[in-house]
Amino acid sequence: MISAQNIIKTYGNKTKKTQILNNISLTIADRSFTVILGASGSGKSTLLNILSGLERPDSGSIRYADTDITFLSDSQLTEFRKEKIGFVFQQYYLLPNMTAEQNIRMGADLAGNPDYRETIRAVGLENERKKYPDELSGGEQQRVSIARALAKKPDFLFLDEPTGALDEKTGRQILAYIADIHQRCGVTMILVTHNQNIAEMADTVIRMNSGRIETEQKNQTKKTAYEIAW
Amino acid sequence: MIVGIKDTVKLIGITIVACCAVFVCTLFLSYNADLAEIENDITAQTGQLIFQAQKATGTVTVATTGGCLGVTSLILLLFYIKNYIDIHGKQLGILKALGYPNKKIAGHFSVFGLPVFLGCLSGFLAAFLYLPTFYHIQNKENLLPEIPIGFHPLLCLLLVGAPTLLFMLLSVLYANHQLKKPVITLLKEKKETRRTLKNRNNIPFLKNLRKMTLRTKKSLPFFMAFSAFCFSAMTQMAFSMKQLASEDMAVMMIGIGLILAFTTLLLSLSTVIKGNAETLAMMRALGYPDRAGEKAVLGSYRPIAAIGFALGTGYQYCLLKLVITILYTEFDAVQNYHFSFPAFAVSLVIFLLFYEISMIIYKRKMKKLSLKTVMTE
Ligand SMILES: Nc1ncnc2c1ncn2[C@@H]1O[C@H](COP(=O)(O)OP(=O)(O)OP(=O)(O)O)[C@@H](O)[C@H]1O
Ligand SMILES: [Mg+2]
Repeated sequence: MISAQNIIKTYGNKTKKTQILNNISLTIADRSFTVILGASGSGKSTLLNILSGLERPDSGSIRYADTDITFLSDSQLTEFRKEKIGFVFQQYYLLPNMTAEQNIRMGADLAGNPDYRETIRAVGLENERKKYPDELSGGEQQRVSIARALAKKPDFLFLDEPTGALDEKTGRQILAYIADIHQRCGVTMILVTHNQNIAEMADTVIRMNSGRIETEQKNQTKKTAYEIAW
Repeated sequence: MIVGIKDTVKLIGITIVACCAVFVCTLFLSYNADLAEIENDITAQTGQLIFQAQKATGTVTVATTGGCLGVTSLILLLFYIKNYIDIHGKQLGILKALGYPNKKIAGHFSVFGLPVFLGCLSGFLAAFLYLPTFYHIQNKENLLPEIPIGFHPLLCLLLVGAPTLLFMLLSVLYANHQLKKPVITLLKEKKETRRTLKNRNNIPFLKNLRKMTLRTKKSLPFFMAFSAFCFSAMTQMAFSMKQLASEDMAVMMIGIGLILAFTTLLLSLSTVIKGNAETLAMMRALGYPDRAGEKAVLGSYRPIAAIGFALGTGYQYCLLKLVITILYTEFDAVQNYHFSFPAFAVSLVIFLLFYEISMIIYKRKMKKLSLKTVMTE
């Protein structure tokens, strides 16, 4: 379980500070699928970065089961990300000088996962695996980035707008694949999006507005990637 | 815009290198020029000899330091600027995509002339102010008549005007050359030479990374090797001055040699770390321990630096030996030049310490940056 308490994050210097996250508290159950909804600039990416240990909050605590990651040293935090976290970045962040396959191996090797080819097939990149990021379409790059995170076999998977750059067909495919992973592997998933429809696939929907959580709601029935509107 | 006056502050390294090189060249070239003026006034036999010897010393020093410092600084600066423009290829692409004309964008790169100009000018002025002291040292025993200090406009033009113009021109031309590429090529990440690499999909990521690091960013290992080369040559040459020149001169040369050596090494270390910042940041985000990234990425540069250092040692030895053999054979008063092991050992120790310590400092600085900052820079 992830339990965040009173997360505060400000950016800026001493003279001009903007509070991006305004006392956020939330809990995320193990193996659940949570969607965080919010307008652009509402602080979704910032929250995701902080929850996953990529960034540190100004104050507040984030507990994974018994560990409060805000107390971990930098190297402990890195080790923690290695063991537990998969992250799909909004801007992909692939290494430009590595092929798709090598980028995915970057994640797979970390977990000692020899079946990364399986992951490549699953995201439909069999024929693209020898290409470099600048030879891939935006959607293909996104899939490489997803595969890189999945190949790590993480316990917690954070996805920042994973379908933002995809068309309906590929978007649904990817969502279906993500949902399938969630079912089969029992990974805890937190997905950030501004697309209301995707929220219908989740167990829990958290709505954010200018750095605060507005509502948190549980879905009684979940839809599949092919049932939601687009 | 891409480069403004403000950016030139970051280029302080260029200013320092230019300043040191011009300082040394001005001193000796001025001295030789002024010495030539009084050639006819020297009548005494000893005076003639001293005159010849000093002229030779001047030429040796100009040839070695001026040549070594000047030429290496030139290459280093050119390289630094090329790298700077390469890194900013994306911004060039954006401006071009927006519709700015090539000439206008490239024109902005003429600001690179400014740090060079400031460096050369301050080097020239500093040398001019130092000339009286220097002449006094050179003529300590009053064996030569009073040497009047003359201002040589040609020298000023050659050591200040020419380098400034050269760097302005080359920066603009290089930026313009880059801008000839299609917008999309500029906007996308650099392809460099990776196309020639064999498909390396079947080896583990870290092993692959180690091989790719040096091959895909070819200019960085070259820069590293070159700066180690300069460091080694400059420090050892400076320390060897003790054998060849007077105490005061040796102190001066060691000072300048060290400043230059450290500046060049810092320039290249920061460039190397910045050039690999993305990879290191991404590895950290995924959860690779810092040591793994540093070993695979930064570790590849260590042997390169060692090779550069060794070459620099050989180079300075051969250069000094050659110059001295050619110029000093007529004067048996001047001792033979021997390879200086103490100079070598001291240089090596300083180099190792400085290399490792600055690496650690730069790595620390890097770690403070967020992934977003690194990736979008
Ligand atoms: N490093 C930073 N320095 C200053 N301000 C920042 C920084 N990073 C983010 N912000 C600000 O924080 C706010 C929230 O940013 P964040 O990236 O979390 O938004 P988001 O909800 O993910 O938006 P989007 O849907 O557009 O991705 C924005 O207003 C942004 O301007
Ligand atoms: Mg975002």
